[in-house]
Amino acid sequence: MTLRDDFQPIWKLLLKWLWLSFVVFVLMAPVFYTMYISFNKLGFGAKIYTFTFQWYINVFSDKQLLTALGWTMILAGITLPIVIPFGLLSAKFYKKSHNKVWIVFVLLSPLFVPADILGSALLVFFKNLNKIFTFLSDHTGLYFLETWFDLGIMTAVIGLIVYTLPYVFVVIMITMARYRPEQTEAARDLGATAWRAFWEIEFPQIRAGVFSACAFVVILTFNEYTRTSLLKGGFDTFTSVLISQMLNTGMSEESYAMASIVSLVAIIIVAVILISTSISKEKLEKQTRRINEPAIK
Amino acid sequence: MTIKNSIEVKNLVKTYGDVYALKNVNLQIAQGEYFVLLGPSGGGKTTLLRSIGGFIRPDKGSVAINGKNVDNLPPDKRPTSMVFQGFALFPHMNVSQNIGYGLKIKSISKDIIDEKVNKMMNLVGLSGLSERMPNELSGGQQQRVQLARALILENDVLLLDEPLSALDAQLRKDMCIELKRLQKTVGITFVHVTHNQEEAMSVADRIAIIANGELLEQGTPREIYSNPKNKFTAEFIGEKNIFKGKVLDFNKKLINVDIIDDTIKIANLNYDIKTNQEIYLSIKSESIDIIKKNKIEKSISKNNETINGKVSEITFLGQFVRYLVVLNNGKEIQVRTNHEVKGLKLKDNVALSWNIEDFLLHQN
Repeated sequence: MTLRDDFQPIWKLLLKWLWLSFVVFVLMAPVFYTMYISFNKLGFGAKIYTFTFQWYINVFSDKQLLTALGWTMILAGITLPIVIPFGLLSAKFYKKSHNKVWIVFVLLSPLFVPADILGSALLVFFKNLNKIFTFLSDHTGLYFLETWFDLGIMTAVIGLIVYTLPYVFVVIMITMARYRPEQTEAARDLGATAWRAFWEIEFPQIRAGVFSACAFVVILTFNEYTRTSLLKGGFDTFTSVLISQMLNTGMSEESYAMASIVSLVAIIIVAVILISTSISKEKLEKQTRRINEPAIK
Repeated sequence: MTIKNSIEVKNLVKTYGDVYALKNVNLQIAQGEYFVLLGPSGGGKTTLLRSIGGFIRPDKGSVAINGKNVDNLPPDKRPTSMVFQGFALFPHMNVSQNIGYGLKIKSISKDIIDEKVNKMMNLVGLSGLSERMPNELSGGQQQRVQLARALILENDVLLLDEPLSALDAQLRKDMCIELKRLQKTVGITFVHVTHNQEEAMSVADRIAIIANGELLEQGTPREIYSNPKNKFTAEFIGEKNIFKGKVLDFNKKLINVDIIDDTIKIANLNYDIKTNQEIYLSIKSESIDIIKKNKIEKSISKNNETINGKVSEITFLGQFVRYLVVLNNGKEIQVRTNHEVKGLKLKDNVALSWNIEDFLLHQN
């Protein structure tokens, strides 16, 4: 989308930017307000504003919250190395396939199922799977199978994979769309193995997309409440702790501080992704322009 | 003397669903030959090239290179290198890294790679550009990098898939000369795919015409241009004067052909024909003489056939002038001369004449 048109009056352009800024402001105003009150010593609703970092200090002394943060990071850490290769392979398959619509439909369908329905469906599925594995362990003597599908990290990770894979697929697919497959063929022709052609030729060109997908997975792991809390078997992930604290005590000033930290980190990650993507897009457009322009010897 | 075959393609078939990309193609390319696969887009020439290079596995048939069957070998195990359509350079590597990539994969020492890259850059005229990134090069330079990258591996066959299609007309002409020079210097077999007739004529030792997955005919550029055996070939190499007709009668020397309201006499060049057979005739626009006449008349001289018509269009095309003449039967014929015919205007009556041997007969 471009807001520039060489023939439109300047006031129209300004109006468009003003409108865009207003929309962004309306969307982000609650977040900014939360940040604002998180620095007030007297808390929400006070008539006097006294600046303080105290609530932030309190956040980092809240053991329950820090443990929950740790769990969430562990979940993200386990999910990432599984979902990223899945997403990459799916995007590669999509690019080569002739039946693209079906692949998109299959991979994006988890997005269209409401979180609580998908979460409870997975819960029922794992409970039944657990019965089968318990039966198997009883009859084979392979007792380690018994706990495989107990609710815990593994089931939560599977739930997160189902949830994040569509996003990872879309982000990588968009970056991969610009990649010219002739380059892989050229590398293969020059003697590279399939893996080497991918690692040395394709990956450097889709790296931005892969890193963006990683960032998305981390953000989504923090965002996720329903599926993770249903499948983890314990309400001890970051978002679930934050929400339970709010439900028990109402929004505390520490909660405002925590929410501000998470929002800020998310905004920074998204901004970095947008900036790096637009830079690489500009680079690529420049290159494409040069290729398409009549060549001068 | 027997010619050693560099590439031998036997009964190659490739289908995509119901569509035949290659229909039983047979082809032999001699060692050290500059061979061009010429044909329209979607005709199967790139499929054939990619089958030779190992990028496509044919449904049936076999490919042998230097007498060795390569059907089960992937691209990197075949003695071929490929120059891809467009510019398949690695954008994150500079010119010398691009050129030396194949040698790096073979784990050759850096000193030898540097030496070979420099030599190759001199050969293709890229000296001094080793540190440039692909996006800092012109189209012609990028294609030279691709050539150098392919040639540095010293394989026996270089496959070129529409290598000049992204270049402008003048640069394409220059690169044709360059490609021919390079092929003579390195002495290996070049197989070049193009849909551009002029490009094919200017580089090829031999040309094969491919359309609808079939190899229609092959020969030297002169044979293909002067004596196309196939109606499609005649059309494809730019022949506009093609007429449907019927054989009236014939003897060993002449054939009388009915082209609706007109009869044309052509030389019988040992054609395998029958009376009343439907055939096609073609004649090159530069083989026809055009003379201004005051009256429409028809006369047949000893060796020349003459027919009358009216000028419907005159176009000045720089090096030559093109006249469009409407014949009595309403058909149009195109005449090309090196100079303007003095005093000839639109709607003037003209007589067209040609040597009877210039009209070619095609059975399909």
